[in-house]
Amino acid sequence: MSASDPREERTILAGIVGDSLRSVTRPIPAGEPPELPPNAELRVIGKRVNRVDAVPKVTGEARYTYDVQLPGMLYGRIVSSTVPHARIKSIDTTAAEAYPGVRAVHVLDRILSIAQLRDPSVEADERYPLVRYHGQPIAAVAAVSMRAAKAAAKLVRIEYERLPHVTSLEAAMQEDAPVVFPGPTEQAATAGGGGAAPNLPQEGNLRGPARGGLGGGPRGDVQQGFAQAEHILTREYSTQVQTHTPMETHGLVADWRDEELTLYASTQFVLSVRDEAADVFGLPKEKIRVFSEFTGGGFGAKFGIGNYGALAIHLSRKARAPVRLMLDRREEHVSVGNRPSTIQRLKLGAKRDGTLTALQVESFGTGGVALGAGVGFCHSTMYPIPNVLTEHYDVFTDAGPSAAFRAPGQVQGIFALEQALDELAHTLGMDPLALRDKVDTNDADDARARKVERRIGAEHAGWAQRRPPAADPGPIKRGLGMAQSQWAYIVHGTTSCEVRIRGDGSVAVMTGAQDIGTGTRTIMAQTVAEELGLRTEDVDARIGDSRYPAGPAAGGSRVTSSITPAARNASYAAARDLAARIAPHLGTKPEEIVFQDGRVFARGEPDRGLSFADAVRKANFDEIVHRADRREDYEGYRAKLGDLHISKQALGGVQFAQIAVDTETGVVKVERVVAVHDCGRPINPKLIESQIYGGVIQGVSYALYEERHLDPETGVQLNANIDQYKIVGSRETPDIEVHVIEQLGRQSSTDARGVAEPANVATAAAIANAFYNATGKRIRTLPMTPANVLAALRADDRNDDEEPA
Amino acid sequence: MDDSTAPELVSLSLTVNGRPCTVRVDPAATLVEILRDDLGLTGTKIGCDRGACSGCTVWLDGEVVASCMTFALDAGGRSVTTIEGLARDGQLHPVQQAFVEHDAMQCGFCTPGMVMSCAHLVESNPDCTLDDVRGAIGGHLCRCGAYPNIFKATLAAATTVRQRKTRGPA
Amino acid sequence: MSTLQWTDARSVEEAVALLSASGTIAKAGGLDLLDLMKEGIVAPARIVNLQRIDALRGVRFDETSGLRLGALTTLAEIASDASIRRNYSALAASAAHAATPQVRNAATIGGNLLQRPRCWYFRNELFHAARQETGREQSQYGAIFDNAMSAMVHASTPATALLAYGASVHIAGKQGKTRTIALGDFLLPPDFDRDRDTTLGSDEVLTHVSVPPVAANTNAAYHKQTERESYDWPICDVAVVLTMKERKVEGAKIVAGAVAPVPRRMSASEKLLLGREIDEQLAADAARLAVGDATPTEKNSYKVPVLEVVIRRTIMAALR
Repeated sequence: MSASDPREERTILAGIVGDSLRSVTRPIPAGEPPELPPNAELRVIGKRVNRVDAVPKVTGEARYTYDVQLPGMLYGRIVSSTVPHARIKSIDTTAAEAYPGVRAVHVLDRILSIAQLRDPSVEADERYPLVRYHGQPIAAVAAVSMRAAKAAAKLVRIEYERLPHVTSLEAAMQEDAPVVFPGPTEQAATAGGGGAAPNLPQEGNLRGPARGGLGGGPRGDVQQGFAQAEHILTREYSTQVQTHTPMETHGLVADWRDEELTLYASTQFVLSVRDEAADVFGLPKEKIRVFSEFTGGGFGAKFGIGNYGALAIHLSRKARAPVRLMLDRREEHVSVGNRPSTIQRLKLGAKRDGTLTALQVESFGTGGVALGAGVGFCHSTMYPIPNVLTEHYDVFTDAGPSAAFRAPGQVQGIFALEQALDELAHTLGMDPLALRDKVDTNDADDARARKVERRIGAEHAGWAQRRPPAADPGPIKRGLGMAQSQWAYIVHGTTSCEVRIRGDGSVAVMTGAQDIGTGTRTIMAQTVAEELGLRTEDVDARIGDSRYPAGPAAGGSRVTSSITPAARNASYAAARDLAARIAPHLGTKPEEIVFQDGRVFARGEPDRGLSFADAVRKANFDEIVHRADRREDYEGYRAKLGDLHISKQALGGVQFAQIAVDTETGVVKVERVVAVHDCGRPINPKLIESQIYGGVIQGVSYALYEERHLDPETGVQLNANIDQYKIVGSRETPDIEVHVIEQLGRQSSTDARGVAEPANVATAAAIANAFYNATGKRIRTLPMTPANVLAALRADDRNDDEEPA
Repeated sequence: MDDSTAPELVSLSLTVNGRPCTVRVDPAATLVEILRDDLGLTGTKIGCDRGACSGCTVWLDGEVVASCMTFALDAGGRSVTTIEGLARDGQLHPVQQAFVEHDAMQCGFCTPGMVMSCAHLVESNPDCTLDDVRGAIGGHLCRCGAYPNIFKATLAAATTVRQRKTRGPA
Repeated sequence: MSTLQWTDARSVEEAVALLSASGTIAKAGGLDLLDLMKEGIVAPARIVNLQRIDALRGVRFDETSGLRLGALTTLAEIASDASIRRNYSALAASAAHAATPQVRNAATIGGNLLQRPRCWYFRNELFHAARQETGREQSQYGAIFDNAMSAMVHASTPATALLAYGASVHIAGKQGKTRTIALGDFLLPPDFDRDRDTTLGSDEVLTHVSVPPVAANTNAAYHKQTERESYDWPICDVAVVLTMKERKVEGAKIVAGAVAPVPRRMSASEKLLLGREIDEQLAADAARLAVGDATPTEKNSYKVPVLEVVIRRTIMAALR
């Protein structure tokens, strides 16, 4: 849809179902299906439908990249650096090449997915890419067995000229710190986010300040804003590096043939695999085909081909055989992504009645050898604060590269901002919810959603029974806290769905997307089923093939928002086409044909109709095919960055956490979370709940347990495994109560938005605020390990807040 | 393998999903490698290869084990049940059915191992409580966070198994 | 490429004979061995499989001779055995809380006592090549006692309980020789430079563990304090075994694990309890005494108050 498409103004009801609906007028493009009523009036959309691909997952039939076995397939094994910073003087692969069973060896001549020098000539004379972290991929071996590949990989001899290294954020910020990159750097975002603003100054390991973001940069004058404040609080927060740890590691099967390069990828974006392979190998996109039926988790890290993918493709080309290269768990932790750490210095000014006058944040974070350690955009977009200044610095360290991780930056930023608001509320003698009611007033869908969500959450979390801080006399202290979420509502510009109705009555829908666990096939099938009056399981939903119509990235919580309008529009066109063919057989006009409950009939005459299959057979055709693109949102976007279209509206969410703190051992237990969220029109509440459970659980895990530990002397990640890198398990899982509101924003033909990331944004902050309610002490450092908790409980919490007269 | 210095393989006979199998294995091979690579049963996954995520859980003589931390030769003469062997005559196991109904999965990679542990629990203790379920899957990592639905599904399946047992044979 | 040789030993004598060859390692459940092999820390030329030796199996208990655990007894068997749960509850608890259900089904008590440390420097072949526990100060886990040379701790949690019950290990060597050694003398401070952290000889086999009979009025408790409940290595674990006369303590064993190179008897605390009636104050005093001479590093200093709390709570739990 372009701006010049004919439009008609339609007046429709919008707002939060069950709360307030109001009439709005939207410029609807011609040919758009009629607006859908609230979910209660629909038959399939909005219903708790079983995941259509659940059976293969529970029977072991689902084939992941790790399971792909092709005839003559070789196994790839990476050789990675054993030093944290070095120039490679030589690489001798002769012994590896001679090892029995080895069919190919390849040495990388460039490193993907990390910051790149703005001026590449600075390192143009280097024979090999510089080594900048322990575990950086250097080369790989392909052999007839994994055992042979591992043994041969050990025989690759690398001579290093060691350079000074630095692994800690604080040390890297010092003036005399060893420098990771010898000149200014750039790194673009992936479809999942991450990356950094271009052309920023860089001194030593510090790059920045970045002052922009979704909110558009600084606004007002913070000095004046603080001058107007009646209370100013200044706090410092710190968060740790978190690794994605998907259950299926990153990996690729590459099958290089003369006619075509076929790739099987564990990915969040099939087309990014194709496009990066095309770019790196100088191939036309049409000569590359990517399959991804099931991806075992991604959380933001699985975009493109990565160094492991480039190696697999090189090896396949050299060996003239398919090569499967899957990372092992150590490589997964170290080399393919993490959520960067932060140090955030936050200054908040407010009037005594809670009105916020100024917000200033200076933040630092390390994403290792990558850029993109941010603190999100909430500071300028969430609350209508007139004076805002955020300045963020990426700090390079000799550590594995960061990658976008479920609401990149925002999780870190909200941890600080929502705690600061909680502190402000207590200082002003205001209930934290009342403070949010006072300040969360933007004329925006997310603010409107949160207003309702606060009310629902407060009721279900028992907020009215909340006790004063440190109410429990004994060592186990319980508390209740809340925090708010905001995430962007994103649409993937180039999204297309194709619906096929075959002459035997079967229906298929396809798009070249993938599923990392959110239920792509299901929501697409539901949308088509609704339009054609079928059951979800009657629709064959196909994804995971780059030859299908272009599908969206599974990042930025955009799959459902992008696919469902395209699927609906394609189904609507197919239904109109089918109606025209069937109408004569039913003695009626096409406009009078109704598809409902698996039948096709003339309006008002359900008993005189046919089953869907019989109607199709009667119409007597081979196949009808209709493809529809995802049209632009009716009110357009705030920003378009390539295919990443960011709405003017955003996603909200409010979470309440009830915790118990053992003040003697420092162990925190999150007992219960009430999570209230919006996602536009919920397509499948069962799948939405699963996403929210997942976001909350990852939030609890981030708040309490996860932390990457690097050995400063060697740069080795010490806990690159699953027992010492600690993640929420069954006994840490809180009782989670989910409520989802139906918010019809009227921007597309389904109005579905996203939820996976908003569900992860507020949890750590809610737990921190609950910690204060439980103990009367603030904890501003993550994770809340016993060591950090005991330190927080012991800390003298006196803060010299300013109270200008 | 086509090279003369290939490892000396030894013969391993075991029963997998009710079928006797004989394979030639490298003594250093683990059970999960045999299942996935030699027998093509890729339902069992490798998540960490160190016995810490339980994604590789199979039944060995009816008990749950981490197949990535089991030498293949230690399974000699014994009976292995993998996820592929859980459904009978095309009928999903109650746990499998309950996982589908309760959406006890997201990406699905941890699911086969998880189902094996939960199925073992409901069969050995159909009166299991939520605490029993948490304990039975205490070694499992589900990074997607499907635990709440896994709990619900397993307790529902336990009810089904309990009811079948009280009803007795038809 | 040399292949790993695998031999099923049919008897303890055969196993002992096979172990005399260099590069040969005995295997029970194989959990620790596989982990060390996968991490590149050990690369045996031959494995002697002990799993077929019936003489190494079996749990036997009677009131007079106490408990005899064959070395191949699994942690799951220990956790579920009725006589162990009734008479050695702290031991059953320690086994029930070790590792994961899957690992417990295969891990043996022999292997558990013989396992190498979980220290993340030890479990990384890079640091073995360098032959040093680099930067021990960096670990927030590890020992708060006797840590001048190394902060590595023994990884066995059943060892904590076994020590509190006064267990001994039984070893078979060449020419049918056997010896018995108290567990406290068997475990050695973990060391990079040795290939084992026990006094087991390279051609010896641990055949069984014996635990003396418990007195009638024995109260015991065990607690493993972790950061994460689902499956985690301990910050510390504590076993308390008390024998009572009327309401007074006649005998006390308090053992703390994961805080010293080997599980540590808190003798001063034990003495404090003798002849006295335990209340919250006495338990607190005993706990404070236990940590009084701790020498934590900067990063693991939090372990001191945590250990103190766990000792106090476990003493109180033993009363119930």
